[in-house]
Amino acid sequence: MTATTDTGPRRAPAVAPWLVRHVVPAVAAPVVILALWQALVRGFNVESFVLPAPTEIGAALAANLTTILAASVVTVQAVLLGLLTGVAGGVTVALLLARFRSISAPVLTVAVIVNCAPIVALAPIFNNWLGTASIASKAGVAAIMVFFPVLVNTARGLLDISPLHLEVMASMAATPRQVALRARLPHALPYLFNGVKLGATLSVIGVIVSEYFGGLANALGVYIAQMAALPRYAEAWAGILVAAALGLALFGAINLLERLLMPWHATVRSTAD
Amino acid sequence: MSDRVVIDADALGKVFDASGQKSVTALHDINLTVRAGEFVSLLGPSGCGKSTLLRVMADLTSPTSGRIEVNGKNPEQARTSRDYGMVFQQPGLFDWRSVLGNVELPLQLAGVAKSERRSRAREMLELVRLSDFARHFPWQLSGGMQQRVAIARALTGSPKLLFMDEPLGALDEMNREYLQGELLRIWDSTKTTIVFVTHSVAEAVFLSNRVVIMSPRPGQVATTVDVDLPAPRTAEVRTAPEFYDTVTEVRTALHAVLAGEEAVA
Amino acid sequence: MAQTRMRPPPSAAPAAQEAVATLGRQAGSMAAALRPVGWFLIVAVAGTALWEGYKALGRSIGDVIPGLGIALPVATDDMAMPHVGAILGSLGAPVQRGVDVSLGSYLVQQAAVTLQEALAGLVLGLLLGCALAVLFLLLAPVRRGLLPWVVASQTVPLVAIAPMVVVWGGQVGMPAALTVAAISAYLAFFPITVNTLRGLQSPATIQLELMRSIAASRRQTLWALRFPAALPYLFAGMRVAATASVIGAIVGELSAGTGNGIGRAILNFTYYYSSGPEKLYAAVLVASLAGIVFVQLVNLAERLALRHRPRG
Repeated sequence: MTATTDTGPRRAPAVAPWLVRHVVPAVAAPVVILALWQALVRGFNVESFVLPAPTEIGAALAANLTTILAASVVTVQAVLLGLLTGVAGGVTVALLLARFRSISAPVLTVAVIVNCAPIVALAPIFNNWLGTASIASKAGVAAIMVFFPVLVNTARGLLDISPLHLEVMASMAATPRQVALRARLPHALPYLFNGVKLGATLSVIGVIVSEYFGGLANALGVYIAQMAALPRYAEAWAGILVAAALGLALFGAINLLERLLMPWHATVRSTAD
Repeated sequence: MSDRVVIDADALGKVFDASGQKSVTALHDINLTVRAGEFVSLLGPSGCGKSTLLRVMADLTSPTSGRIEVNGKNPEQARTSRDYGMVFQQPGLFDWRSVLGNVELPLQLAGVAKSERRSRAREMLELVRLSDFARHFPWQLSGGMQQRVAIARALTGSPKLLFMDEPLGALDEMNREYLQGELLRIWDSTKTTIVFVTHSVAEAVFLSNRVVIMSPRPGQVATTVDVDLPAPRTAEVRTAPEFYDTVTEVRTALHAVLAGEEAVA
Repeated sequence: MAQTRMRPPPSAAPAAQEAVATLGRQAGSMAAALRPVGWFLIVAVAGTALWEGYKALGRSIGDVIPGLGIALPVATDDMAMPHVGAILGSLGAPVQRGVDVSLGSYLVQQAAVTLQEALAGLVLGLLLGCALAVLFLLLAPVRRGLLPWVVASQTVPLVAIAPMVVVWGGQVGMPAALTVAAISAYLAFFPITVNTLRGLQSPATIQLELMRSIAASRRQTLWALRFPAALPYLFAGMRVAATASVIGAIVGELSAGTGNGIGRAILNFTYYYSSGPEKLYAAVLVASLAGIVFVQLVNLAERLALRHRPRG
């Protein structure tokens, strides 16, 4: 039934070439790097303070797995709490700005400026306020660091909707509530996720820096710093490895959530390259 | 075609920035009647206010003087009671909704139950011959197909009235002619009243019962040409002598408008 | 340079990279550039009023919400929340008893050290970021292999690696400040890479075909078309990178054993908090202002460099 004069639909490319083009290089790169790393360290007898061999790090990781994982739990809890609080706050204020649009421009201007300040510097103050050992002081700093990019991005998404789409909604006699729910909010989702991705990185930085200013000794950031100072480099690198894996897992989880919530968007991007 | 008046504009005027220094009279003393079942085109050079007139009818902007009734109501009442469907120059589909989801949106906003709006939306997709693409997302369709989805969306609430603002303006010639034929077929099967804005003489003549020619600065109705071509209007009509005669008549009227313009300028 | 009319970075931003680009973007003339200052002053006044208001409320009710018996989340005594006046006043007081340097000038000195490190980090990040962007543009397989890992590199907590970077720097005999700059560059290069790559890829097909039609070489196309086109994107990345580089410098100072920098000052005043809480607040305030000034300088550079471009 397709019209002859119409150009056909643009279809997504088959899966196999996509795997070869995108997944294989991304997987091959670290394998090549690890092999080179091992070869260089062994071949040139590099001292372990410069760089331990991957096998040494692996052994240290296996030996200290319980300690490292216990430390990770403490850190991860604070990171997640901070991220969730910051995202919830940022989205709430963004929604308020979309509702009261006359104040949105000055508030966003100020938010952009405040966001330029190194908010990590608040870490010792939060430790004093909310208790050095409490998770609230760690998550608090992270939440504020997450709040601003999420606010700025989400507000932009809510406000940047095209006049055409607003007129389409008006022509269908949509109520303001329906316009917000069915047009502005879905339009802002990709923007929101950009903010969350930025926020995830910042949340980790906020928590680990906050740990550095004092707190529970069995946190991941503290463990790495202690091992580096001792010096037990293989252990330090094992900690870094776990921290990296956690960071990646968080990033991956956010990407997965993005694909689940925005199938239309993910499909667009998988073909664009 | 009945005698029931669907659109009734009386001494309608629209001035932009009325109080300011740069006030522009977009519409001046517009008197226009559209009857049920008619296909009326608004034709004129850019700046003649044809789109503004349509937007006043659709309550997307309000007039500054005169009176207008749509379906016997004021435009706002007509809009909020969903008396009309509208197609814009761009499809204006929502990226995050499937083709089916886009078509059922008007019914969803009106609170129609899911199963009912689904089946209604499927009927509309059949009407625009896009049933196979219900599950696709808008970006997977060509421009012409997207505009057909927009037409299906405008029709899904079974409005008695359809406003179209240069809906085929962004398409290439082949797609345009094809969709013009489709539009006549849909008009014939739905018995909808259509008000159609265009700047193409041939398009206006091929589609309409009546072509309203407008002149700019200030925007007003210059003249009206009745189109009397045999039904059904198939592709052959485009090569018929009567078609050329009417196109010539409309073009002459349009040139008179443009000449008047130059004389003033 | 070809005077090609470039579209500014798109404001509708679906991909992560573009959010990086749009974050912190403000457009407008020089008059508009001053408006944020006015808003900032209003916020400063409002913030002070909020701080003192909360403190006064807490004092009057003894930090416990009457009738409910719930404690306020933050205590309001002078130890936890010094008066704004006391914080500002401490800037004029000597940094230590018997030392002839005021806290204010000491903090500004330390902030200047940090900003120098951040600037070095930003420049390093700029060089690395642009080099990677060009590499990714020219070699598609390298891009597909490395780009996901460049993205991943930012999810690795920088603070976790910082101690090791300090160890490396120490072994090689690198000055501590340079080590800090390297840590700062680790955070700064990413937004620059991603935005610049996007900018290099931004010229329309028609512009690229024009270059092809006049037989421009790859290098000529790069210089005359792709680089000018990428400039607005590059600056958008720089704004984000500038914020990140200050964070990186402060974090680096915490890990490095240097006695200098605003990060170290904050750490010191944290240790001696009980003897002068207002000094810590003053240090945090100066650090925040320094970060804002740093990013505004990058904004200024952007306005100058792009003064002939259409504004988005």
